[in-house]
Amino acid sequence: MSVEEFEFGGEDELSLLETLDHVLDSGLVIAGEVTISVANIDLIYVGLNLLLGSVDTIENVLAERLDAQTPRRALSSTSGEDDTTRED
Amino acid sequence: MLDGCAGLGGGRLRLIREGEIAVVVSEFEGARAEATAENASAHNRVASHVLASVTPLPFRFGTIASEARLRRYVEENREALSKSLVRVRGCVEMSVKILRDVAASSEGAQEQANALRANPCAQTSAGRGAAYLAAKRREMLGRAALKEQAEEIASWLAAALGDALRESRVRVNGEDALAVRAAHLVERARLEDYRERLRRARAEREPVLRFLTSGAWPPYSFSDAQI
Repeated sequence: MSVEEFEFGGEDELSLLETLDHVLDSGLVIAGEVTISVANIDLIYVGLNLLLGSVDTIENVLAERLDAQTPRRALSSTSGEDDTTRED
Repeated sequence: MLDGCAGLGGGRLRLIREGEIAVVVSEFEGARAEATAENASAHNRVASHVLASVTPLPFRFGTIASEARLRRYVEENREALSKSLVRVRGCVEMSVKILRDVAASSEGAQEQANALRANPCAQTSAGRGAAYLAAKRREMLGRAALKEQAEEIASWLAAALGDALRESRVRVNGEDALAVRAAHLVERARLEDYRERLRRARAEREPVLRFLTSGAWPPYSFSDAQI
């Protein structure tokens, strides 16, 4: 795997984030946010949604997030928002 | 094919053959694979190692099964697995993430919001409730503008890449800087064509939009193999 055509200071870091994003996105974990610093470019929000930790921790976090989101989802459905593209 | 590649936790890799389907597995003692950077990297290292020779259908990260259960799974899902393997055969996954300046993107909505604020009715007769509703409307207009922009970007990208794609999985985002995240299934023989089209497309929209591209990946986004 290579990260293409993107100049940044920490290539290893971005490669790892991309790896985590791809491997875990189709796996167990979708939560949180990651912001990375790229040389010559301001801090950018890459939107890699992942969380590293034990499965127990992740399951707890996801359960808490689900509880927290329940009222919001109800609100979303009445406001016509499309929540299907949200990962977190 | 498996020489020189360690599996999860440094474990040995094995090839389990079940009819015409072969499964690459890591010998693993635990009941669960923790979602750590090391383990995720190991998962990707194995899948990428196989990808160098042939396109695999990656299982979800953390899939653990006994050999008997795995063989039963393959037997019971042979037809679906074969179809999925044909779908990704000869391909790799390429990733494109497109970022935007959220403040600039929602400028139009902000202008409409300003117009709402300038409405004397909203300011004088409706009071605090109207101000709240105006704020909510401004927020919704902002989201709608971002969503619309993300969809436009996704459509533009698909058109720019055209038949260089065998398949794609695209998610548009109406709330954040990350407008589009696309996974493209590209035939190996068409990779150069794909890259050239993507280069030309980027040139059209940079620096207003920023691109983060990576690949080639095992087709994670195009696999539904799951025990």
